[in-house]
Amino acid sequence: MPGKVRDTGDGLFHRVEELIEVAMLLPRNMSDQEVEGLLRFLPPDTSRSMRALLSPRFREVSLDFIGMVGGWIGEARRAREEGRKVVLVPFNFPPEVIYLFKNAVPLTSEVLTTLGVAVLEGQGERYWDYAMGLGIPDFLCSSSTIELGSVLTGRDFEPDIIVQSAPGACDANSKIHEFVSLHMGIPQVILEKPTETGPRGRELHRRYFLAFLRRLEEMIGEELDEGRMRRVLEEANRAAELYYELYDLRKFSPCPVPNIFSIFTYGTRFTRWGRPEGTEMMRRMVELSKRRLEAGEYPAPEEVARCMWLYIGYYFDFLGFFNWMEERGITYLNDILSLCQPRFVDTSSRESMLEGLAETCFEYPMTRQMGASSMSLAWIEDMCGFIRDLRADCAIYSGHHACKQTWSVINQVRREIMKRTGAPVLCLQGDSWIRRMTPTSVLQEEIQSFVDGVVRRRRARGGRGA
Amino acid sequence: MEEILVLARELIAPRLREWRESGGRVVGYSCVATPREIFDAGGILPYRIRALGKPERDHADAHLSRFNCGFCRACLQLALEGAYGFLDGLVETNGCDHLRGMFENWSGTATPRFFHYLKVPHVVSEESLEFFAEELELLREALSSHFQVDIGDAALAEAVRSTNLRREGMRRLFSLREMEHPALKGQEALAVLLLESSLPPGVFDGFLRELLEEVRGREITGYRARLLLAGSATDEPDLVREIEDLGGLVVTDAMCYGTRAFWKLPEVEGEPVHALAEAYLRHLLCPRMFDDYPSRLEFILQAAERARVDGAVLVYNKFCDLHGVENVRLRLDLEERGIPVLVLEKEYGSAADLGRIRTRVQAFLERIAGRRPSGKRSLSAGGV
Repeated sequence: MPGKVRDTGDGLFHRVEELIEVAMLLPRNMSDQEVEGLLRFLPPDTSRSMRALLSPRFREVSLDFIGMVGGWIGEARRAREEGRKVVLVPFNFPPEVIYLFKNAVPLTSEVLTTLGVAVLEGQGERYWDYAMGLGIPDFLCSSSTIELGSVLTGRDFEPDIIVQSAPGACDANSKIHEFVSLHMGIPQVILEKPTETGPRGRELHRRYFLAFLRRLEEMIGEELDEGRMRRVLEEANRAAELYYELYDLRKFSPCPVPNIFSIFTYGTRFTRWGRPEGTEMMRRMVELSKRRLEAGEYPAPEEVARCMWLYIGYYFDFLGFFNWMEERGITYLNDILSLCQPRFVDTSSRESMLEGLAETCFEYPMTRQMGASSMSLAWIEDMCGFIRDLRADCAIYSGHHACKQTWSVINQVRREIMKRTGAPVLCLQGDSWIRRMTPTSVLQEEIQSFVDGVVRRRRARGGRGA
Repeated sequence: MEEILVLARELIAPRLREWRESGGRVVGYSCVATPREIFDAGGILPYRIRALGKPERDHADAHLSRFNCGFCRACLQLALEGAYGFLDGLVETNGCDHLRGMFENWSGTATPRFFHYLKVPHVVSEESLEFFAEELELLREALSSHFQVDIGDAALAEAVRSTNLRREGMRRLFSLREMEHPALKGQEALAVLLLESSLPPGVFDGFLRELLEEVRGREITGYRARLLLAGSATDEPDLVREIEDLGGLVVTDAMCYGTRAFWKLPEVEGEPVHALAEAYLRHLLCPRMFDDYPSRLEFILQAAERARVDGAVLVYNKFCDLHGVENVRLRLDLEERGIPVLVLEKEYGSAADLGRIRTRVQAFLERIAGRRPSGKRSLSAGGV
């Protein structure tokens, strides 16, 4: 008999699933008035997120995104009903590795948190508070602790296996996943990122990765099948092609790619890469962006700032963040997550596919930078390259308080970026998933002051970006 | 003992200064994953970085941030002030994210004359042990090459032997705390450990012999409860003194500035570098290691049992992810076994934090005292 068919608790997973199931029923041809009417029925927090997503500028793609993540969540639930393994992975682990297995599906902690924060009334705070009540320190990372706090309640959907891929790259992420594994008795399988970035480190990581896969095979009870591997990775390669097409579209000014597509990009990368749903999502983003480019559409009279977000964004208020900036001519070009720069995996043989996947893990966003020998070096070089390539005229560091690695080198990073590219850097501070620390209004004020006081003036003086 | 307590409060003790002035080389390190035998074998003094509860960190905060651990910020502050100018070099380890940040800023600003990064895996496996052995070889080569010293296998084997003798001495000394009638306070044990990791081995061995003689037959009295102290980097003599002044005698510990630095290291046999890799990685009782929580819990339980503790104080510096989370699991596991626990988050080296800490420790001692048949231990004569 497979595991539980469906829990009745009010954990994050179930509450999100139920709401997204409803959202998936929304007709694609709603008028603006109908959307407005719908938003009035929703609780305030949910309504605000839906207002952002259902902006007429990209409503069709938002509905596709909702459909994609709804399908992803639903698949996990069905997998449980069918006796397949649900594998909880952190964001810094490529989900296509799990899709290599017929009998397993991935769930990504940080994506579930973000969905919970976006669609639940009260955002994810109740689960965060539960974790705090257990004694988890308040400086841990909300990105994973909100979802894992929900698992810790014992009233949520529990994964069968926990993958840990942050040892060596992020203490906070690694420890909370380990804690949940110990506390809930869920087996964990670890993929360490060696701090050594050179050939020795890569070779060690390759060996770690192969051992990790063997362990996964044992836990899932299935040997990898070369044909299935090839199908999954060819699909991932198709998505990667579209990723780079979208990346190139961001080079145009004004940027035809809506700000919120950055989060859609990694929402896709972290959930459906290697599946047709993921490829289709990337295609839909590219199509809409191309249409906007051809039509010369941009939501503000002019693009006043092309911002490279050096790290991550803020996710507790899509409307007050992504949409708000866009409507003021502030383009959110990319961040460290949407700059995932997916690799094309050589699918000619089993060995080449394994090599390619190991390389993908090694170079995954944040793992690549913060898990390197130097926490600042790759970060600086990557960001300087992207700033030049995407013709950014400023950079912003969100300063998510839990990220001790980036906080410990941001001063170096800021100095180097300004020196090498001339782009001014704004350092914010807050919690990217919890509004209690720095509210939207404060973030908006700081961003607006920076853009008006620094970026605009530099443009006027004929500085970078002029 | 008085002399030791005073010496341990100095970054550079007179005997270390003498060593330095007579041409001896000193290389700083921070993490207990660093095999000091490799330095000893080359006649280089491995000096364990410390901040001794330094509260100022304004210079450091221009590089790190207030979301980083106070211990690392205080160490960096000392480096930027030039207090670590006596070091001939620095060996970084990837102990935790904060430590990595500290070293990255230190090496980039204070520019040590010699800098080497020893990369320590986070899991124990065939692959990681092989890699770590290579890392130790690289460390040996780097030290040999920079300082023009020969660190051959024979010298290394001899360093292993003499280090183990010293560790045996440390175990004997620290065990005197754990006896029914403790002969050593926790603050004294910490002071000894700080000297052990900052004095030339020969000098320290002399201190240790004298100490073992001095404390024989000694008995600490007047305490209210026997405590185990565990948690993150705590080289703050004042913190331990505060706890003990309130009546909580620290009779054992599981600190990295404590027993974790020397207790479990076994005799190493065979080819010395591989043997050191095995010994250090397998017995690195730090929450930075994954898949190894049962060993760490077992280590603490054994210490608690040996020392017959009345309670455990689990400390962590604010923003320490590793110990902050680990302590939650430890609290549950210790309490399940009937050991009362106080989890104490602290701002490193902050005098302002002491009042709060004092109140919490007092309340904890009251709670423990309430569980015991007599609130205060019956004291024997001849107490100290």
